[in-house]
Amino acid sequence: MTARLDPRTKLYMILVVSAVVMMSATTPFLWAVRILMTIVPIVLLITEKHYASAFRFLILYTSALVINFTCLSEQSEGFLMAFLVGYCSIIVQFMPAMITAWYVVRTTKIDEFVSAMQKMHFPDGITISLAVVMRFFPTIKEEYLAIRDAMKMRGIVLGEGNIARMVEFRMIPLLFSCVNIGDELSAAAITRGLGGKVKRTSVEILKLGIQDYLLITLFTSVLLIFVVFKYFR
Amino acid sequence: MTGSIIDIRNVTHKYKGSEQDTLDNVSLEIKEGETVLLCGASGSGKTSVIRLINGLIPHYYQGDITGEVYVDGKDISQTELYELAGVVGTVFQNPRSQFFSIDTDGEIVFGPENIGLDPKEITARKDGIIEQMDLKDLMGRSLFELSGGEKQRIACASVAALLPKIMLLDEPSSNLDWESIGTLRDIISEWKKQGKTIIISEHRLWYVKDLVDRVIYMEDGHIGCEWSGDEFRSLDDNDTRSLKLRPVNIQGRYEEIFDFSAKEKENHREEFTDGIVLKDFYFSYDKKPYLLFKKKYSEADGEELSLCIPELVLPKGKVISVIGCNGTGKTTFLRCICGLEKDCTGTIAIDGKEYRGRRRIGLSYLVMQDVNHQLFTDSVASEVLLSMKDKDDARCCEILDSLGLLKYKDTHPMALSGGQKQRVAIASAIAAGAEILLFDEPTSGLDYSHMEKVGELLHDLASSGKTVLVSTHDPELIECCCDYELYIKNGRVISFTGSLEKLEGIRRNAI
Repeated sequence: MTARLDPRTKLYMILVVSAVVMMSATTPFLWAVRILMTIVPIVLLITEKHYASAFRFLILYTSALVINFTCLSEQSEGFLMAFLVGYCSIIVQFMPAMITAWYVVRTTKIDEFVSAMQKMHFPDGITISLAVVMRFFPTIKEEYLAIRDAMKMRGIVLGEGNIARMVEFRMIPLLFSCVNIGDELSAAAITRGLGGKVKRTSVEILKLGIQDYLLITLFTSVLLIFVVFKYFR
Repeated sequence: MTGSIIDIRNVTHKYKGSEQDTLDNVSLEIKEGETVLLCGASGSGKTSVIRLINGLIPHYYQGDITGEVYVDGKDISQTELYELAGVVGTVFQNPRSQFFSIDTDGEIVFGPENIGLDPKEITARKDGIIEQMDLKDLMGRSLFELSGGEKQRIACASVAALLPKIMLLDEPSSNLDWESIGTLRDIISEWKKQGKTIIISEHRLWYVKDLVDRVIYMEDGHIGCEWSGDEFRSLDDNDTRSLKLRPVNIQGRYEEIFDFSAKEKENHREEFTDGIVLKDFYFSYDKKPYLLFKKKYSEADGEELSLCIPELVLPKGKVISVIGCNGTGKTTFLRCICGLEKDCTGTIAIDGKEYRGRRRIGLSYLVMQDVNHQLFTDSVASEVLLSMKDKDDARCCEILDSLGLLKYKDTHPMALSGGQKQRVAIASAIAAGAEILLFDEPTSGLDYSHMEKVGELLHDLASSGKTVLVSTHDPELIECCCDYELYIKNGRVISFTGSLEKLEGIRRNAI
């Protein structure tokens, strides 16, 4: 148990970052705070040895930032510029939330997540549904890749030029297999005692460490700064 | 209580929305410590019996049920499913869909946590199970990276962690290769030693034959007959064939097919002059970093290659089985042939015409293990028409007729049975004009008669001039239809031989 974060801290981070990306930064100071807030999950990804994704996020975010500040201004004209403005501002605005969410999903074990939710006294119904959603992401990816392969073989990746069919060909097999897997999955989970009246225990001992308090303080202050600047000035 | 631990009394059951009874007046008593095998064709009610015992019928799968089921003295209809969790454990067929966590450690402790055991006790149990089932090297990994066999081992461990008295296994070997089946058998025999009551529903009979005390043969929802373990072990091929079961005593023949070390020693390569020539098939999953141009793989990359086939000639119009252990490049080989791996730049030559790159895609067609992934439209006919460049209704009907699908022309593909879906996929491959048909484990989890049908179908496809490559772990399929065997190890062709009889001829000549 070295510098691992408590899932509660992670959830709090998501909450704060999602709130902050909805508020725009207007002064250089606010920009600095925003960038700091984005660097934190990237650093955390590195500490958890997800180097490739940390690197990718870092490149994408910095390039968007640089383009946004150097090349683009209110006088920009032309199609390429319009495209760049749209693209970069979306990345700069919402990327922090994406990085944080990615970090949380990638590094939280379902088990940890469930016991954190229980410690916060969430009802079991909500906890278990959210846990199943987390469990399902990789499955959907696996199924989707298989379907895309099948489409490649048939030469119908572009849905015969029809966008509705393009979506239909992907979604229908995906839904069918996800429903099947979901059904088998719940049967298997129920036979192993999920959903009983007994209080669930957990081998994961959750305790807020110094790193958790640090991050909670940091993110609380980020939130406060943005709220103060937006509503009280 | 030393009497029967499971007591099923006159149960008749019908799933909600279905016309037919799945179980018809079934009575079955199983004593504590017994190992019982349920066999019979698909749809004969084996799975329903398993579901009666673990309570999924009537609590999860709804339907009409009469009769009584007692497990360990509890009346199932009055018992909640979670109360059974520590009594009955179930290992399911599909390793993909029975784990709840994303990591191996979390999966093993999942059950004990659910029933609210003390964390210290859970950790102790987990360590015990890891020790006992030799799982150390699988710990701390993502379940999504594991092979089918490894997933099934974790599934067994996570069920065992609840220390149930009764173990149910519902076709556990369906997705496993030869080696993993051996591991599974060891796990079952360990449970038997511990005195657990074990009930196995299975199509593959040979690997459990030495473990079972009693065998129940199911037929159309009732118990057809019952053998003692010894009677069962003495059944010969004719007996099993007349009951539409897979053979019981085939281990010797199996070992011949899957004796990889002998194949490596012989290193025999059948040579063909006229056929489909595969050239320069190199591929690696470890992608090299590149800046502007992707480096092409070549033989010089040596050990790094996951697939390395400089040249291979496949005979036309034959069924060729592709064998080898799991994760040794069989699927990679098939994927490269049909052009799904873009980085593999091999060429395929048929009748002197060379195809490379994207042009290979129309030439071959892979029928996937899960055919649900490759059916896209809302009727069988439009599925076939989708593959045709110029839509030709008459040709479509002709193809469907040849596969016995004409009467399902307007049915939704998802409403068909597994075997029919497979044939729809084949129909669309033929419609696309594919010369090479590739099958990835087409018979895993099929009963004898369905397996035989697939065998016939492959044979017919080959006689009509298509070249068929089947990756399979199913020796019964190899026996019934394959002309040649291609053994692949680490992405290299080790041997390419004729079927067993031919092979014996070669050996005799060698001596």
